[in-house]
Amino acid sequence: MRPTDLWRYEVRRAGWAALLTPPVATAALLLLALLDGGDDTDRTLLAALEMVLPLAAGVGAASLVGRDPAVELQLTVPTSYRSTLLRRLAVTLGWAALLAVLVAGILLATGGMPQERGALSGQLVWLAPTVWLGGLGFLAGAAFRSPAAAGGLVTTWWIVQQVFPGLLQGRDWSRTLYLFETTRGAVPEGWAANRLTLVATALVLAGLGWALLGRAERLLREEAE
Amino acid sequence: MRIEISGLVKTYKGKGRALDGLDLLVPTGMFGLLGANGAGKTTLMRILAGLLRPTGGEVRIGGYDVTGRAGRQAVQRVLGYLPQDLGVYPDLSAREFLDYVGLLKGIDDRATRRRRVGELLEVVALTGDADRRLRGYSGGMRRRVGIAQALLADPRLLIVDEPTAGLDPEERIRFRTLLSQLAGERTVLLSTHIVDDVAQTCRELAVLAKGRLVFRGTVDDLTRRADRRVWSVVTAGPAPTGGTVVSALPVEGGLRYRVVASVPPAPDAEPLAPTLEDGYLALAQPGAAEDAMRP
Amino acid sequence: MTAAFVYEFRMQARKRSMWIANGVIVALLGLLTANLLTDALDEPSAKVAMTSGAFLVNLILPVVYGCFLADRLVRDDKLGVAPILDATPASTAGRLSGKYLGSCAAAAVPLAIIYFGFAVLYAATAGHPVALAWAAALFAVVILPAVLFVGAFALVVPLLIPAPLFRVLFVGYWFWGNSIHPTLMPTLSQSLISPIGPYPLQELFGYGGPGGDVVLAGPVDDATLNFLRPAATAATAWLSIGVLLAVAALVLSAAPALRARTTR
Repeated sequence: MRPTDLWRYEVRRAGWAALLTPPVATAALLLLALLDGGDDTDRTLLAALEMVLPLAAGVGAASLVGRDPAVELQLTVPTSYRSTLLRRLAVTLGWAALLAVLVAGILLATGGMPQERGALSGQLVWLAPTVWLGGLGFLAGAAFRSPAAAGGLVTTWWIVQQVFPGLLQGRDWSRTLYLFETTRGAVPEGWAANRLTLVATALVLAGLGWALLGRAERLLREEAE
Repeated sequence: MRIEISGLVKTYKGKGRALDGLDLLVPTGMFGLLGANGAGKTTLMRILAGLLRPTGGEVRIGGYDVTGRAGRQAVQRVLGYLPQDLGVYPDLSAREFLDYVGLLKGIDDRATRRRRVGELLEVVALTGDADRRLRGYSGGMRRRVGIAQALLADPRLLIVDEPTAGLDPEERIRFRTLLSQLAGERTVLLSTHIVDDVAQTCRELAVLAKGRLVFRGTVDDLTRRADRRVWSVVTAGPAPTGGTVVSALPVEGGLRYRVVASVPPAPDAEPLAPTLEDGYLALAQPGAAEDAMRP
Repeated sequence: MTAAFVYEFRMQARKRSMWIANGVIVALLGLLTANLLTDALDEPSAKVAMTSGAFLVNLILPVVYGCFLADRLVRDDKLGVAPILDATPASTAGRLSGKYLGSCAAAAVPLAIIYFGFAVLYAATAGHPVALAWAAALFAVVILPAVLFVGAFALVVPLLIPAPLFRVLFVGYWFWGNSIHPTLMPTLSQSLISPIGPYPLQELFGYGGPGGDVVLAGPVDDATLNFLRPAATAATAWLSIGVLLAVAALVLSAAPALRARTTR
C-alpha cells in the first residue's frame, strides 16, 4: 500500500479540471431543468446520474495520457508510470463515483429512483456507464496519447447513443452495450444483463489500455502537433 | 556500477539508425560522453535509463541486463536521471515536486523524505525559493531542481544529459564540482557537447559520431590526438582553409586564428599546445580516428 | 495570416491521432448504420440523398471536430511559443484569423472526406453525377457555417475553462441545442442559431427529416425561445447562416483580450 501522500499528489495532478467537470456538468443540467420550471427534478437527476456524470468521467479518463510534462522522468522511476496513471484514473472515476453516490442517495430518498431499483442495484445506474466510458477513455488515451482525440471518441460515442438510441437498441448484442438503459431503455427486462455486460466490457477496455501502456517508448514518442 | 555495452543498435522507424553497433565499457567513477548533436548520445542515455528498448545488442549495468523488464526495474531503483529537457509540474513548488519524485522513487517514509529534500535544496542553493511554484522558475533554477531530483534516492548510477545547458558560468562550475564530488563509488555518466565540462570533470571519456564509437580513452589521450595539429595564424585576409578554425581573436594586423589541421595552414603558422577541444576536433579530420566523423 | 493558416493547417493535419480517431469513429458509425447507408444509396433523388447525408454528418461529426480544436490556443501559451509569435511582425488579428481558419480547415478535412466520399459513392452507384454538385452546395451552405461556428467556440472557450470541461459541456450543449425537441425544454434547436442548420436544410434544400415529414425549422407551438424561430423562409435561412457566422466572429473577437488575461 503506497502512502496517502502519493495519492494526495495524484489528486493534485488530476487538477481542478478533472475535479470541476463532473459537478459543473451536473449543475449545468440542473440549471436547464430549473429554466424549464423545475417540475421534474427527479428525472433530471436520474439523467445526470446515468448520462452526465459518466460522460464527465469518460472525458476525464481520456485526458490522462499525453499531456504529462514530466513523462520522461516518470518513466525512469521505480514506480511504474502505468500504475501512476491507474492511480490518476482511480482519482478521476472515484470523484465522479462519490458525486454519483450522493445523487443516487437523493433519488432513493425522494423516491425518484425507478421502483424496481433498490439501494444496491440502483448504484448500477451510474456505475455501468461510468466505468464503461472511463474504460473507453482510458483505452483511447493510451492508444492515441492525445486527450483531444481520446475525448473526441468518448463524446462521439456518447452523442451517437443519445441521438440514435434505436441504432443500438435494435439488435440484441448491441443493446447490451447501450449506456442509457435506465432512462431510455426499450427492453426493461434486459436491464441487469445490460449493466453487467457494460461493467465486464469496461474491464476489458481498461485492461487493453493497461497493456498498451506497458511500452514506455510509445509514451515517450511525441505526437507531431 | 560498470556499464557494459556490446553491439548496441537502435533503429527508429523512418529515421534510420541512431546507434549502429556500439561497443563501450564505462567503469565506476565519472565518465564523459561527447558528440555532436544527433550523434546518438541521448538515445544511448535513454536506453541506459530504461526508457527505450534497443533494437539489438546487449547492455548490462552492474550485472543487470537492461534489455529485459526485471533488469530495467533493478537499474531504475539505483538510478538518478536528469533528462535533457526536464519537464516539471508548474503548479508544484520545488519542495513539493521533489517530495513527489521522492515518493515515486520509493522513499515512503515522510520524515526521511523531507529531510532528504531539505538537504538537496540546500545543495542546489534553492532553499530560499523552495516554496515558490515552479511556474515562475528560470531555466537555470529548473535545471537545479532537476539535479536535485536526480540525487534524491542516493543513486549508484547517475545519468545526466546536457546538465549545464542554460546554467550561468558560476552555476556551471558549482554543478561540475558537485558531480565530481558525487563520483567516487558511483558511476556518473555525463553526456554533453560542451567539451570544457568533460575536460574539467572526467578522466575518461568516449566520443560518439553517427551512432558509432569513434574514441574511448582518457582526456589526455584525446588531447594528444591534436599533437602537432594546432596552429596559430595571424592574417588580415580570408580565414585559413584546410583545417578546422577553433577561434578567431581580433589582434593588431587582423585576426589571430586557432586552427586544427594536419599540415600548417599557412607558411608562417606557429604550433600551439593542444587542448581537449582541439583533440575532439582533430578526431573529425582524416586519419585522426579509425572512423570518419563529421560534425 | 496566410503563414499562420498554412502552419496551423499542417500541424493539425499531421496529427496521426486525429486521423486514427476519425477512422475509428467512422468504422463504428459504419457498423451501426450499415442498413441506413444502403437505404441512402438506394434513394432515387440525388438531392434528397445528399441532404440527408449532410444532416447526419452535421449532427455527429462537429462533436469530434470541436473536441480536437479545444486546446489549440491554450497550447501556444503552455508551450511558451505565444511570446515568440507575439514578437513577429504579423498583426495579432491576422495571426488569430490564420490560426482559426487553418485549424478549422484541417479539422474539417476528415469531415469533408467522409461527406464527399459518401457523395462519390452515391454518384457512382446511383449513376447521378449531379450528386457531387449538391454535395458541394450543401457543404458550403450547411456544413461550413457549422464548422466555423463550432471552431470559434472551441478555440476561445478553453481560454476560460479547462479543455476537458469544455468537451463535456460542448457535447452536452450539442445534444441540447440541436437534437432536443423545443416542447421538451427551452432549447436552441430548430432556431436560427442551431448550427446543424435546420433553416437552410429545410428552406434551401427542402429537407424534411429522415422520414421526409418533419418540420425542422420555424416557430413551435408551446415552446419557449420562439423569438429565435421566425417563420422559415429562404430569407430566414440565409439570415440563419449570417447569424451563425456573426456569432462566430463575435466569439473570436474576444480571444485577444482573454489570452492577455490568461497569459499575464
